[in-house]
Amino acid sequence: MFYIHHPVLVIAITSGIFLFNPSAIQAATDSDTLQKQLLELRQQMQLQQQDTQMQITALEKRLSETSETSATKLNTTTQGSSLKTGLSGLFTVGGSSVDNDALEGLQAGAHDPNQNGFTVQNVELSIGGTVDTYLDAQANIIFQIDADGETVVELEEAFFTTRSLPWGLQVKGGQYFTEFGRQNKQHPHTWAFVDQPVVLSRFFGGDGLRSQGTRVSWLMPTDWYSEFYLGAQNARGETVTSFLNAPGEDIGGHTLINRDARGSGDLLYSARWLNGMDISDTLSMNLGLSGLWGPNASSTSTETQIYGADLYLKWQAATSQRGFPFAAWHTEALQRRYEAGAPGDSTREILKDRGMFTQVLWGFTPGWIAGLRWETASAEGDTRSDPLRDTRKRLSPNLTWYPSEYSKVRLQYNRDWTEHLADKTADTLWLQVEFSLGSHMAHTF
Amino acid sequence: MKNLYKYPLWLVLLAVLSGNAQAVLKVETTTQDLAAIAKTLGGQYVDVHSLTLGTRDPHFAVAKPSMIRRVYGADLLLIIGADMEIGWLPPLLQSARNSRVQPGNPGYLDLSLTVPLLGKVQGQVSRAMGDIHTKGNPHYWLDPRNGVRMAKVMAERFAQLDPEHAKDYRTNFVTFEKAINTKFVEWRKALHHLNNKPVIAYHTSFVYLADAFRFRVVDEVEPRPGISPSAASLGSLVARIKKEQIDLLIIEPYYDRRSARYLNEQTGIQVSVVPQSVGAQSDIHTYMDLFDSIVKVLKPTGAN
Repeated sequence: MFYIHHPVLVIAITSGIFLFNPSAIQAATDSDTLQKQLLELRQQMQLQQQDTQMQITALEKRLSETSETSATKLNTTTQGSSLKTGLSGLFTVGGSSVDNDALEGLQAGAHDPNQNGFTVQNVELSIGGTVDTYLDAQANIIFQIDADGETVVELEEAFFTTRSLPWGLQVKGGQYFTEFGRQNKQHPHTWAFVDQPVVLSRFFGGDGLRSQGTRVSWLMPTDWYSEFYLGAQNARGETVTSFLNAPGEDIGGHTLINRDARGSGDLLYSARWLNGMDISDTLSMNLGLSGLWGPNASSTSTETQIYGADLYLKWQAATSQRGFPFAAWHTEALQRRYEAGAPGDSTREILKDRGMFTQVLWGFTPGWIAGLRWETASAEGDTRSDPLRDTRKRLSPNLTWYPSEYSKVRLQYNRDWTEHLADKTADTLWLQVEFSLGSHMAHTF
Repeated sequence: MKNLYKYPLWLVLLAVLSGNAQAVLKVETTTQDLAAIAKTLGGQYVDVHSLTLGTRDPHFAVAKPSMIRRVYGADLLLIIGADMEIGWLPPLLQSARNSRVQPGNPGYLDLSLTVPLLGKVQGQVSRAMGDIHTKGNPHYWLDPRNGVRMAKVMAERFAQLDPEHAKDYRTNFVTFEKAINTKFVEWRKALHHLNNKPVIAYHTSFVYLADAFRFRVVDEVEPRPGISPSAASLGSLVARIKKEQIDLLIIEPYYDRRSARYLNEQTGIQVSVVPQSVGAQSDIHTYMDLFDSIVKVLKPTGAN
């Protein structure tokens, strides 16, 4: 910078002196005077130069100071209140011993890979942050490409939570995943397997149980962590399949009618009691009980109840590098009681379904996790031909590699046992790749 | 009218309850180093607990339910900051629903704002560069002079939240400062041989220790922060160690030592396991202990 400005300065000063000092030109014949003037000129120039240099240095210093303070200011203000945005993409390629139609029945989750070939499981845009002193808010928008190649956009979740109500209370409102069990709330990119458990696809539909509503939770003043959730949500739509669902859909051969939500009795109520404790420095546990009560669209007065229990145990070595080694055991068991057909109706029956999954993860070395999941799902009565109620079993070993916190590669094998397929068994291999861009992902327990 | 008579009873109950709560300041810290300093300053007037263990890398903690319960009951939350806890503190604060310890309130203290951070990244930052902390390197507690800076702000915050014992906190700080300053001279003397010495670290976590004890961390075993070494990266490191005759490699106890052992076999470089935190070894209980242990490992006679 200095060297560029310097010659310009010299020319300006020199020409300025010659232009506005005609006597200097007249005396140019006298070499003594000329030399004297030249000396003066040099001195003047040197002084000017020094002055300019000092000014520039001072300015540069001020500039660096202001940029530094503004950077520090930015740092402190963005802390804790910054908007977090992230985009995660989940892509799978796989092949199965059964055709695509059969595969779609086996992989009933809307974000499960379900095609021989490539599946874009889930591209999720998350935006969240602190609204003000009182609220936090978050929205998750999903982009998906379905089996017909159509792009689907879904507002998966958009909700607020209160930040600091008294007495350990917290209110959540909007569109959100119901707090039932451990798995239902998890987004596909945090799943430990490429697909969602069979029983959850059956009871809660492909997208998991989520709807519009509000819930209150109470962090109890106990010595251990104990939290009680109580919620009310709309019971209508494809994401509350065991309840009002969509008219024309079918459960256990009973076609659903268009049942309106007329009063508070037609809402879906949920309760969850979650307990957590450290058994030791290396072993922690979560134990939860959940319940759902709501109307179903089998008739104008029928109801559904779903109950579940979930257990999560995690061991992490006392000396661990990047969270490894660890072992985690997650088990959930659910049962559903579904009143089908109005009272007095000849086809009236109580549909009883149950299911469970149990999975173990072993993070044996930093970045590497081996997993094994076992699942069963069944219903009372003759349900052999119904892909959503027959007796299903599935065994899924997998291996996941995290090159960094922001990407993963997963290989999973599924062995399926079914009653509704002619083949009775299916073997499928999936290879999944995930990336996540943007804000740092939360390390959830 | 009847309710009015009940009112004093509630007041009494409230007074008893809040009186109990104020007896000690409940302090939760994200690391054992913060807890150790807080305990030294607060003494009997504070109840200090660390959310993570010194044997683990605090960046990779998870928001466990027990932590939610603890943060819910805390009067003051001390954090390392500089994105050290970015993975687990935001969800923890949200679940804990305790307004006292939310950012911006006196019960929330980010100690990274009390020290001059090294390694602030200028210019374009990409995740292709590994785990880069743009706000600066968060391992600043490994410089005893930073310990004093942290303690000063901590003591003032204690005094603000518990004015009754303000004098004690300030006195304790002065004692702590004096002790550290005296010890620092001794520690520096003991590690005099490290002066200007080139050292290899496993992770970019010893820059403050290097600054305090005047050695130079010239390279890391991890090719990029948080990325495990590959055969190729180890190969070039072997060449560098031989060429520049680097003879000391320092590594935290929680990192896998296979690559360090390999480098030792190939070049004869000395591998020193340096405890990075209070609690990293069972005999390190205080902030003072931490540097005593580090000095013991690094001083010429204590070499292994």
